[in-house]
Order: sequence, then structure tokens, then C-alpha cells
Amino acid sequence: MSILETRNVTKRFGGLSAVDNVTLQIPEGSIYAIIGPNGAGKTTLYNCITGFYPADEGDMLFNGQSLLGLSPDRITKLGISRTYQNIRLFPAMTALENILVGAHPQLKSNWVDAILRTPRQRAEEKKALEKAQDLLNFVGLKGKGDLLASGLPYGEQRRLEMARALANNPKIILLDEPTAGMNPNESVTMMRFIESLRDELKITILLIEHDMKVVMGISEFIYVLDFGQLIAKGTPGEIQKNPQVIESYLGRGAA
Amino acid sequence: MSETKPKKSTGRINSFTIIQAIISVLFLAFLSWRLYNVINSGVYGPDTWVRFALSGLIIGSVYALIAIGYTLVYGILFMINFAHGEIMMIGAFSGYFVFEALKSVPVAATGLSFLDSYQIISVVLAFIVGMFMAALSGYFLERIAYRPLRGAPRLIPLISAIGASIFLQNAAQVMFGPKRRTYYNPMSLSRSQGWRIPIGGEEVILTYTGVLTFVLSIFLLIALYTLVMRTRYGRSMRAVAENKQTAALMGIDVDRIISNTFIISGALGGAAGVMWGIHNGIIYHYVGFIPGLKAFTAAVLGGIGNIPGAMVGGIFLGIVESLGPAVLGIDFQLKDVIAFSILVLVLIFRPSGIMGEVLSEEKV
Amino acid sequence: MKDLIKQGLRLGLVFGVVIIFLILFGLTTTLSDILGDFVNLDSNTRTGNSSGLMIIFAILSLWAGSRASAADRSKWKSALVSGAAASLVIGLFVAAFILLVGFLDSKEIAMRDYLAQLDHLSIQFLLFGRSLIPGVLMTFGIFFFFGILGALLAYWFEAKNAGEVIQKQVFILKEKVLDSKLVTQYKENPISKWIGYGILGIVVFLMPQFLGKYWNYAMGTVGIYVLMGLGLNIVVGLAGLLDLGYVAFFAIGAYTAGLLTAPAPIALQIGFWPVLILSVVFAAFAGIILGIPVLRMRGDYLAIVTLGFGEIIRVLIRSDMMSPYLGGPQGIRDIAGPSFFGLSINTEKAYLYLIILAILLTIVFTNSLQNSRVGRAWMAMREDETVAQAMGINTFYYKLMAFATGAAFAGLGGALFAARNQYTGPADHTLMVSINVLCLLIVGGMGSIPGVIIGAFVLKGLPEILRELELYRLLVFGALLVIMMIIRPEGIWPAPRRRMELHEKELEILPTDDSLVGKEG
Repeated sequence: MSILETRNVTKRFGGLSAVDNVTLQIPEGSIYAIIGPNGAGKTTLYNCITGFYPADEGDMLFNGQSLLGLSPDRITKLGISRTYQNIRLFPAMTALENILVGAHPQLKSNWVDAILRTPRQRAEEKKALEKAQDLLNFVGLKGKGDLLASGLPYGEQRRLEMARALANNPKIILLDEPTAGMNPNESVTMMRFIESLRDELKITILLIEHDMKVVMGISEFIYVLDFGQLIAKGTPGEIQKNPQVIESYLGRGAA
Repeated sequence: MSETKPKKSTGRINSFTIIQAIISVLFLAFLSWRLYNVINSGVYGPDTWVRFALSGLIIGSVYALIAIGYTLVYGILFMINFAHGEIMMIGAFSGYFVFEALKSVPVAATGLSFLDSYQIISVVLAFIVGMFMAALSGYFLERIAYRPLRGAPRLIPLISAIGASIFLQNAAQVMFGPKRRTYYNPMSLSRSQGWRIPIGGEEVILTYTGVLTFVLSIFLLIALYTLVMRTRYGRSMRAVAENKQTAALMGIDVDRIISNTFIISGALGGAAGVMWGIHNGIIYHYVGFIPGLKAFTAAVLGGIGNIPGAMVGGIFLGIVESLGPAVLGIDFQLKDVIAFSILVLVLIFRPSGIMGEVLSEEKV
Repeated sequence: MKDLIKQGLRLGLVFGVVIIFLILFGLTTTLSDILGDFVNLDSNTRTGNSSGLMIIFAILSLWAGSRASAADRSKWKSALVSGAAASLVIGLFVAAFILLVGFLDSKEIAMRDYLAQLDHLSIQFLLFGRSLIPGVLMTFGIFFFFGILGALLAYWFEAKNAGEVIQKQVFILKEKVLDSKLVTQYKENPISKWIGYGILGIVVFLMPQFLGKYWNYAMGTVGIYVLMGLGLNIVVGLAGLLDLGYVAFFAIGAYTAGLLTAPAPIALQIGFWPVLILSVVFAAFAGIILGIPVLRMRGDYLAIVTLGFGEIIRVLIRSDMMSPYLGGPQGIRDIAGPSFFGLSINTEKAYLYLIILAILLTIVFTNSLQNSRVGRAWMAMREDETVAQAMGINTFYYKLMAFATGAAFAGLGGALFAARNQYTGPADHTLMVSINVLCLLIVGGMGSIPGVIIGAFVLKGLPEILRELELYRLLVFGALLVIMMIIRPEGIWPAPRRRMELHEKELEILPTDDSLVGKEG
């Protein structure tokens, strides 16, 4: 069974269908990609899956469970994390705090524990802090835990966002243009990193990407969107030769 | 500060809409029942109802005028000009001083004061001075308290506005003294004179001041609407409200337009202040606060940023406030509660107002 | 050359108008009185010996002159020109004004009915006790002379204005102190923090013993405001929800305490301590109820709705309709006070200790909350609500919790306030209370505990000290708010991240309207 599935998902804004009848299946433990020209509806699809927009038609299933009508926080608690195209960290919080927020669903203490500083809460905080540090090191930001997120350079912010998404112990991560703004070397590092997520941490990856080298390099399967519709799907090899895909990219002149 | 993304309506019926619907139906039912009861019981004769309605209409037009000031500024700067009530107060005081000055100038020919000899001129003068002073104040308000804070997170200009409001109120108190002052209207414009209309066996007086207020308000509202919608200048105003950057790129002097918006909104507020003085008679340094709040309610009710909306909202609020206590059977003291409750309810259930907001994408 | 003159004229215009307003406010007379008392000159409105006024005018003109010369200080001539231009204008304006006013006064025209500060004595004072023309000429002379002097002095010191000279010196001094041996030693010693707290603790503990009844009461009021500031800090500072109706919860706490302990209008007369808990609980409950409808609103609408709630509550407790239940305009009297192991707490001193205890508890609570999962959730919501929700934070729940927690502290404050006064009424629960708490938070520094305490002192304590300026209290308050927002929005003592946040935002945000728009006026 696929870990994530959408069935005929449609989202309209006014008269325009940003996402039109999109059906896809993501098997567990894979790296799948969604590509398409700018404005094709990829991020909107993400927003529907994560509950940010309510879908107008269709359904989304996570391990067979419908995500329709669930609030974003509930969906995250099920084990779905995401990153953002424009990096949306919490600017006035430190790197460690950002990661700790990401770990929110994993922690249990409530306000009573907080005020009374019960031993349970203190132990939990300590463990969470350690785990956050580990994640920080994992993404290569060791020692930068107490810096404000807004003070980090671009590349490090991206990595911090990753760490934050991982803090949730997700089963699947939705990445939105993880290599945007990176040079070829950095992109390669990111590619290896994403693969390690799948291999070592056993996380399923779905990624939106514009960088074809990255897409072709690590995806097992690709979905192509244009004007909100699914125009092609296949392995990297098949997609590269698909005339419709080529036309939608070259014809639009956008990519 | 966090922004709440508006929930896009999808046509799907969720629990919130159901609750809304149930509450609206229950409320309307309650109102109809009360209305039927009260009218039937004859506690208030038809003449009283007419009186209520008239007074509501008149004060509603003043609210509308003040509301436009809020809506203009919000539409362009996305800030609530908390000090707008004080601008109205400045207009009221200016008009007062004009009347007082003219009252003390004797005219040999008639043996009366200037005020009573040349009544129309006096009134016009009061309005001109009132509107001018208020407009000037609006201009300086923006330059001093708001312009330096453009681009700051929204909380900051709001605090500045609150500070300006407190400052202006107390400046008036310190300068003019805490005493309440009465507008001395020219003779023909006395607050007790008007057309007598027989209704239901009793006489209802439609005061001249009331008619003046209403007619003038509507006139100014229409004038403003024409300015904003039909003139080239109005187009540039709307452009700036829509997207400042693009407007600047089109060669529009954004700062000038913003200043002018404050000047216009100030002038209207000043006119409202003078009207308040003439019609209600009593002014004091605090006079702008509650009407200001209510006018803001009206602006939101009609849809913030929406000029006809402000008109509709103002008149609606005036009438509801007037008739409300009678219909609901509660104390007239609680008139203000009605206005505030409407505010709260509108913002909860229909924040875009009756006629819909007119705002740019920038906000979201 | 022309530019210099123009600059000077413009500055003179601004200063002239401002000074005329100062006269209309009566500030010039009041300040000269204070100054006169301070310097022990025999100067007050009664004797008409206005040396204090001369000093005030002189200071103002010095300042004006030095600012005017800021246009160009390279040559003494340019400083002179701009200074002279400014002084000329100011002198003319103010002199003309006093001339007008003095003339009208000499014709026995009473302006006092319209301009409250211009009574006969004050006008005499403005004329330095002399007759019309000489008095006015003196004013003109003072402004002209000292204005030019100010310009020349500024040229000599080569600073942009007096303020900057002082600022520089202060800065150098500050650096010296901060780098000195003593301070660095202090910072490095780990025990020093505890020593500092210890000293502070001793001072606070002993303070009520020495202050006397009046000041104990005043400090108690400051303390209650500190309490409320800490509470509002959670709502506004941590969670980012702008609440302008905070007084509603204060009122609920006060009225709960009142209604349940006083003999009228409801004769329940429960003891104080259980009532205190009930006050807090009811207030928290009200916080939840208020929170539910406003969950979806955007920032400024939230502010207005909460303001509306506050006003609704005020009107209700004042109304005649509800007076059988709520006491009406007279309020509730004979509210019981607490007793501690048989000793009843009824002196200002005892109450102050109680309030200090409450503050300490509050500080501990808020600190624990801030540094926990809950606090992080609030901060995340404040920074970016959408993403916070995407992080698994149930924003509805946490918003309600923020409201409830903040409300609880307000309720606590309200109950203590009512018990101490043994009375509470509608006049205690106006919008100004909400605004006061919000402003002490903003002015003192949001998100930081020392900031809240400083804010409370400045906003509530200072007016007590400056009793003579009582009339101008709110005037200064309003002006202070505007000025602080412009020059130091993060407050006097902000939490470190807050200052970074507010000033960094200036740097990192992509161009907004301003950068592409034409010149600033």
C-alpha cells in the first residue's frame, strides 16, 4: 500500500483550477518527485495534502487514512512533515528552538508540568534538547544552536529547516525545492543527504524540484504537473524522453 | 506578529457555518418576537418610533462621515487611525470658537451679534474653519506619529496612534479646560426648532439642525465617493491603496497621496465634529472617543476600505442603536453595549462586512 | 547662503509654533515654577518675578540655535546665519503671540474661559511682570540672543546638537564603566548573579518597612501593575495576541472578590483565600470564553474586539439595570481582606508584602512557562502562525491557553486590588487600565521581566513623584508613547532577542513601499 496517495484532488481559486484532478501514489521508502513549470500547482498540491487548503474535490490518504478535513496540526501529528519553497523558519527564535518546535508533537508535557517543573518534564526537556543537538549536527550545523535563525546564511537556513522537519520523526517528508539557490556542489551534497534520509532513517521522500540533475539523479519515479493537471508520469528515463513534458517546459519557456 | 490566513470558503458545509446559521435564525426569531411584542404593547406610540428612527438616521449620518475617515486610512495604510475621534473633536472645538467669536461681535445695523445677523455665513464659516483645522491636524498627525513608522510591524503604529489619541485628548483638556461647552447656535438654528410633523396624534419635531446634519453628511459622502471613483486623482488614490510599489513606479507621489488622504479624512471628520456640536450641543475634550469607536464599528460593518460600505454601516448603526434599546427592552444606558456587541459579532461572524472589504493583496 | 536661511527659518517656524503651544498648555509657567523652586530663585506666578521663565526661554533658544546650525558648521559665519534666522523667527513668533495675548489682557478681555492657561496672572508672568512692550521686547531679546549663542556654541563644539554631545559623552562614559576592571570581574564571577539577586531581594524585603503608608500604597499599585504586565506579557509578548481589553479580566477578578465577600449586594461572605482562587479561576474561564470567538481574527481586529469586550463589561457593571447584581455606579464596598494564620492583613505594608509575594510567584510561573514546550509553541505562533500549525501545534488550544493564563493573572491583580481598597467600582475598570498595562509592557520592554518592572515604575510610579505635573500626566504619557515607538520601539529594557528582532527586521525585509517611493518629507 502506498504511504501517501491522492485521488482526483482538485483545488480551485475563483474560476481557476490550481490543482486539477491529480492522482498519485507514493510507495513507502521511496524518493518520488513532482516537477512542472512555475505555477503548475505543485506547492498548492502540497498545501492541500498538509491541510493548509481544503481540497474542493477528491481525497488524500496517508497509509489508507483520509486526510480530508483534518487540520494541519493533526496531519503533522500523523507523521507528515514538510519544508517550504521560501524557507519559513521562526526568525526570532534560535536554531535549537526552531528544531524543538518541530519536535512539539513528540513531546508530551503540558502546562501543568511546565509550571510545576515536574521531574518528568525536566527529563523530557533534557532528552529533547539532546535530540535537537543531534539533529543539528546531523545537518551540519554543529555549534550554531544558539544563533537566531534569521542570522544564519541562506544555505544553513535550508538545512535548519530540514532539521526542523526531521524533529517530528516523520514517516514522509514533503520537500519544496530543497536545492533552490544552491550551486552544483551544494546540490550534490543535498542529494546525498536526501538519499541518506531514505536509507538510514527510512523516511519516504516526495520532492518538488526544478533542478533536473537533482530530479533525475535521485528520484525513482516522477510526476509531471502543468496547469494543475497531471500530464505525465514515469521513471526518469521515460520522462526525459516524453514529448509532452519537453513541450510544456520548452514551450512555456519557464523552467 | 502572526497573521491569520482567512479561511477560503469552499462551499463545503462545516460546523462553523452550521453554528452561524443556527445562531442567526435564533437571533432573528428573537428579534421578531420582541419587535412584535413591543409594537403591540403600545408602550411606544408611533410618534416615538418615528422620533427614534429620525434621530437614528441623523446620528447615523454623522457616524458615516466619521467612518469614512477610518475606512480611507485603513484602505491605504492598513492601520486603524485611533486618533481619528480626536480629529473630530478638534473640528468640533474649532467650530465652537468660531461661533463664540462671532457671537461677541456686535453689528450696529441689527443690534444683534454677527452670529445672529448673518447666520448662514456664520455657519458656513464654522464649517470651513472646523474642517480646515481638522484637516491640518490630520496632516500633522500622519507626519509626526505615523510616517516615521511606516513598514514597522503593525503593533507599533497602533501604539503610536493610541498615544496620539491620548495626547490630543489631554492637550484639549489642558488648553481649553475640562469644562463642558455648549454650542451657541444662531437663532434660527436653535436645537428645538424645526418642522412639526403630526404623527399618531402627537407632534414630532424634525429639527433644522437634524436636517442640516443629515443633508450635509450625505452631500459630503457623495462628493467623496465621486472624488475617489470618478476622478483621475481618485484613481491614483486607489492605485496607492492597491499596491504602493507599483503606484510609485507609475510615477505617483505616494507620500503626497497618503498625506492628502489624511487631509481629506480629517476634513470630513472635522465637518462631523461641527455637526455634532450644532446638533448635540455639548462638546468636551473626550467627545470624540465613543463616536470614534462606533464609527469604526460602522466602517467595519460596511466593509473596511469600502466607501459606500461606510455610509451604509454608519446609518445602519445609527438606526439600530436608536431603536435597539426600545426593541430589546433594555435600558437606554446600554445603547453603547449594542454598538460594541455589533462590532464584536460582525468581526466574529462576518469580518468582511456587509458590503465586502476593499483591500489590496498586500495585506494577505 | 539662501539654503541656510531657509533651513533656519523652517526650524524657527517649528520651534516657534511648539513654544506657543507650550505656553497654551501652561507648561512654561509650570516648568519655570519648578525650576525656580529648584534653583531657589524667588520665582513664581504670584510675585511675578520670572527668572525661571527666563531660564526656560534661554534653554529653549540655545537648543534651537544649536539645531539650526546643524545645517552647516564648517564656518562660524554659516552657523551664525542659520542660527540668526531661526532665532529671529522664534523670537518674532513668540513675542507676537505674547504681544497679542498681553494686549487682549490689558483690554480686560478674559481669555481664561476659552484658553484655560491664559489667566491674568499667567500673562503678567509671561511679560516678566513688566508692562506690555518692554516685556515682549525682553522675550524677543532672550530668544534672539541665546539662539545665536546656541548656534555659535554648537559650532565651537562641533557636534550636531547638544543632544549628540551629551550622547557621545554618555556613551564614552558607559564604555569606560562597562570595560572597567570591576565590571568585568563581576561578569565573570558565577556567584555574582546570586549576589545581585540577593541584594535586590534584601532591598525589596526591607523596603516596605521604611516607606510609610502613602508610598507603600503607591508601590503596591505599581506592584499590581507589574503583576498584570507579566500576565499580559504572555498574551501579547509570547503569543502575539494584541489584547486591548485586559481590564475585563481585572474587573472579573475584582468583582468576584467583591461580590463574594462583601455584605451587599449578594450576601455570601465567603472568606478571602477561597475567593482569591475563585477570582483567578473565573478570570481564566472568562479568558477562554473571550478567546473562542476571536481565534480566527487578524491582529488589529483582535485588538478592537477585545477593546469592545472591555467596554461592554465596563458599561454593564456601571448600568442601573445590572446594579442589583453588580452594584451599579456606586460599586461594592466592605470587601474583606485576607488573614494569615489569624493575623488579618489590613495595612498598606502588609498588602505590599502580599503583592510582592504574588509577583514572585508570577515570575516563577511565567519563567517556567516561557522556557517550556508551551512557551515555544506560543512563540512559534507569534512568529508564523501558519507554519506553527504545520509543526503540529494546535493553535486553537494554545491561543485559548494564552488568553486564559493572561486572564488569570489579571484576575489575581483585580482581587488583590479590590481587597486592598476594600472597594471596587466601575471607575476602577476603564479602558485606560488596559492601555496602561499594554503601554507599560511596550515602554518597559516586551518579553523581559525587568522591562515590565521598569515600565510599571515609569508609568505608575513616576507620576506619583512628579505630583506637580499631575495635570500633564496623560499629556506626557501620550507623547511618550509616540516618541518611544519612533525612537525605541523595543522598550527601555527589552528581552535581548526582541531588540535584535525589531532592528534586524529593518535590514532583512525585502523592499517595502518606502525604498521605491519618493523622498521623505
